[in-house]
Amino acid sequence: MSDSIRVVIVDDHSIFRSGLRADLDETVEVVGEAADVPSAIAAIREKLPDVVLLDVHLPGGAGADATGGESVIRGSAPTTARFLALSVSDAAEDVVRVIRAGARGYITKGSSGVEVSKAVHAVAGGDAVFSPRLAGFVLDAFGAVAGETAAVDDELDRLSAREQEVMRLIARGYAYKEVAAELFISIKTVETHVSAVLRKLQLSSRHELTVWASERRLL
Amino acid sequence: MSRGWLDGVMSSSAQHPLVPLARPPRAVPPPRPELTRVRECLITGTAAGLARHLGVSTGLVRAMFVALTLLGGAGVLLYLWCWVFTPWEPGESAPSRRAPVAWVMLVGAAVLGLLVFPELSDYRLTMSPPWAYEPNGGSTVLGLAILLTLVALLVAAALWADLIDRHDAARGPRHAAVVRIIAIVLIVWLLVAMLVQPINRLYLLVPFAGLLAMFASSLMHRWRELSGERVRRIREEQRSEMAAHLHDSVLQTLALIQNRAGASSEAARLARAQERELRAWLYDGDAPADSDLPTDLRDYAGALELDYPVHIDVVSAGLSTERASGELAAAAREAMLNAARHAGGEVSVYIEGSTSGVDVFIRDRGAGFDLDEVPGDRLGVRQSIIGRMRRAGGSGTVRSDENGTEVHLRIAGTPLRSEDA
Repeated sequence: MSDSIRVVIVDDHSIFRSGLRADLDETVEVVGEAADVPSAIAAIREKLPDVVLLDVHLPGGAGADATGGESVIRGSAPTTARFLALSVSDAAEDVVRVIRAGARGYITKGSSGVEVSKAVHAVAGGDAVFSPRLAGFVLDAFGAVAGETAAVDDELDRLSAREQEVMRLIARGYAYKEVAAELFISIKTVETHVSAVLRKLQLSSRHELTVWASERRLL
Repeated sequence: MSRGWLDGVMSSSAQHPLVPLARPPRAVPPPRPELTRVRECLITGTAAGLARHLGVSTGLVRAMFVALTLLGGAGVLLYLWCWVFTPWEPGESAPSRRAPVAWVMLVGAAVLGLLVFPELSDYRLTMSPPWAYEPNGGSTVLGLAILLTLVALLVAAALWADLIDRHDAARGPRHAAVVRIIAIVLIVWLLVAMLVQPINRLYLLVPFAGLLAMFASSLMHRWRELSGERVRRIREEQRSEMAAHLHDSVLQTLALIQNRAGASSEAARLARAQERELRAWLYDGDAPADSDLPTDLRDYAGALELDYPVHIDVVSAGLSTERASGELAAAAREAMLNAARHAGGEVSVYIEGSTSGVDVFIRDRGAGFDLDEVPGDRLGVRQSIIGRMRRAGGSGTVRSDENGTEVHLRIAGTPLRSEDA
């Protein structure tokens, strides 16, 4: 019981929830489900899960433009739960929105139960989950492709050279383990870099990021 | 009856071989240009178009119209008829008129007004109604005719500037506004002048109606814009509503099917192809389908997923300056085909375009192979990928081990710079 991860699934499609529940492996325990924003916030308050699997698009969001996912993250603000966004869409603005709202990672709904379980474990352990597409977007949005490199590691608006290498390999479809082997660093270091990038993605005020956010009236 | 018909057929078929011989070869006249109005025209392009169609000079056609006009105005009617029923010649550009028609009409109205105005009261537009008998009623009719002509010229100038000259590049940007303002000032002046003079108030209706007509044209514009805007908004709303609905129901179901059926099963591949198509329709519907490299490879990945048990993820970053028709795209397609055919499962394609060049990585999770052990007669990798890239001035490298194969294709962004270096 203590070593299994407590998960709440938030999705407005019951068929998807039950499908996902059946697919997750036994180290993941589903303690609750919710179909819209208010019930999701209530479930998170009540069950205190480790990880929330959160659909980006949910009914009952606060603003007219909000798609629900980020309303849940904001609504349940003081919480120890970590959020993993699940989305049927690969659209960059959807993903960036939930990441900036505080999600620790993002996977598509086409992912298998094993992949989702793995991602849940990673997020529960404090790591970030990056899909190749998100990595590609990050490289693009932080100007890494155009040759911009951060002079100092904690500069928010640009990626350091090492972070760029890691993101490139993830975009090329490498798993963390393979990235580590390729760059001759430990998996832990890869995870540190990825978390650093995630933090930049959440905190940076780079133009490309804020355009999407302000278009959706996030800031 | 049927007999006669048969006879006719028989005899005509019997005569048939003779006919071409008997008839002298007739010169086929060159096809006439279609009767269309010329876009680069003097006023409406009617005369020029007609002249081109008939193969005579434009001046002759104009002279004919003028001559016919002297015959009880038939020329004017014919001209108007031709104008209304002749289409513009095909083309993209807005018609351009050499003659400043609106200004000519304005000046005409002004001249007429100046000539007539001091003696307006002489024309007996008096307090008695126009239909009342006047001793010298002839000048009442003349006065009314002049008044109508004046107002008609002003209204025509304003409408011409507003409706016809609107898209004409030969007129200045403020043309319509200036002409309309002058026309309105003149017509208001006319109104005031008529108010001052002892004229039957009934005649004031004429310039007043002209003023209304001028404003009506701008109202019409506004209304047309508004209704166009409304239609666009309604369509956009409907579309996004439908997209939201499909997103919530169909796309989710397709995702679920893929999820439950296993990544490489037939059902999952079909569902994925459908999802891809639906998504493209939903979100890229209005965007022009330009064939840049990422789009092209994404389409190709979709096609491959239908044919092979494979799941291809195409990610792109940066600018895509590379054309989809280029050698890089061809080599990338070949590499993707190899990955789908020999490795299957999960394949990642990453395209990065920067100012210095374009990189494409194709990675699969297959058993891998040793390039040196591939028999010499198998040309796929060596010729279609590596050789092709080398010929195009780029590079292609293949790295393969038991964890899979990665093909890296690179081509320099600007060939000039790479020669300098």
